[in-house]
Amino acid sequence: MEEDMVFDPSLKKKKKKKTGFDIEAALAGETKTTDAPVETGDVDVPEDDSLDLDNFGKKKKKKKTFFNLEELESALPESKDKKPPAEEPEQQEEEIMDDLDLDIDFTRTKKKKKKRNLDEIVAEEDVKTEDQEKGDDLQDDWFGSDRDYTYDELLERVFDIMREKNPSMVSGKKQKFIMRPPQVVRIGTKKTSFANFTEICKTLHRQPKHLLDFLLAELGTSGSVDGNSQLIIKGRFQQKQIENVLRRYIKEYVTCHTCRSPDTILQKDTRLFFLQCETCGSRCSVASIKSGFQAVTGKRAAMRAKTA
Amino acid sequence: MSIQNLNTYDPFADAIKSSEDDVQDGLVHVRIQQRNGRKTLTTIQGLSSEYDLKKIVRACKKEFACNGTVVEHPEYGEVLQLQGDQRENICQWLTKSGLVKPEQLKVHGF
Repeated sequence: MEEDMVFDPSLKKKKKKKTGFDIEAALAGETKTTDAPVETGDVDVPEDDSLDLDNFGKKKKKKKTFFNLEELESALPESKDKKPPAEEPEQQEEEIMDDLDLDIDFTRTKKKKKKRNLDEIVAEEDVKTEDQEKGDDLQDDWFGSDRDYTYDELLERVFDIMREKNPSMVSGKKQKFIMRPPQVVRIGTKKTSFANFTEICKTLHRQPKHLLDFLLAELGTSGSVDGNSQLIIKGRFQQKQIENVLRRYIKEYVTCHTCRSPDTILQKDTRLFFLQCETCGSRCSVASIKSGFQAVTGKRAAMRAKTA
Repeated sequence: MSIQNLNTYDPFADAIKSSEDDVQDGLVHVRIQQRNGRKTLTTIQGLSSEYDLKKIVRACKKEFACNGTVVEHPEYGEVLQLQGDQRENICQWLTKSGLVKPEQLKVHGF
């Protein structure tokens, strides 16, 4: 708790809002912070704080222990073999990649502006508090004893250092791709309006036309974007159904097929669409959008009159 | 007495067998279309032409208690049409009968 007080100014506005959506995570985070041993007993603590704030700005909140750990280790005479643990991380990294489940959250509440940041931060906090605890354990174990390190401890240490050196990896560990839910409203009895269509296109960094093509092909209907940039689809659809289709679109055309990062670019190259990942640099082709067979659902007489 | 090393062994046995087994190649697209009111139509496109679609549709109609038909399309070949939202039914049925592998099924629509 004390820590929270100390660091509050940096992220209080985020913290306040945390009520609605991710209670479990938030709770977990909070309990952990309270439980986390504060008795690091180092004199460096205040220094580290200042360091933290300077270097990492508001995002990095609980770096304290890592710094301690590092300093401690550099102080320790036998910080000799860094090689053996360095070999291992690859395995674990793969696991992490697997874990990196891109759960696409269409959270349903109305106040979405803050949410994205919020969830990320909450997730990060969780990660960090866990790390902190572990870090403390390690520190306690190693400190003042001559015994050999166990494998787990070394592994932990390497990961701590890695996370500390490139903070972007921490957020990459448990990545959540959160976007605003589609606002779907029925117009009359036969049409459906997808109000924030353009906005969603923007968050996905995709051409509205591409998403439009996909939606219409998947839903097997026709539709168009009207004057106030909302999409009017023929037929009755509910928000849940549109969400499903959007999810499929994101899986197919937004997230990288290799590393599942949503940070991708879709480019057209010789009639084929390629998905270029900004994170891992992979490039793969994606299926073109085909609506396939469309059965005749309208009045056949009317169709015949039109063609003839 | 037989010498094991000299036994005749056909290295392509696997390949031939699997190609015979797999009549179905390519994806089977299962789509849904909205009709008037809350009525829907399920279309199954891409079933292998080796299969007798008339027989399939006859079995499906009985199984799902719906009407259905086979439509000839110049580009997509024979397409199955069933009344109502039969997407789950048809997927289960196709995999259970062994006509299509689950990974070959692609379900579209909401």
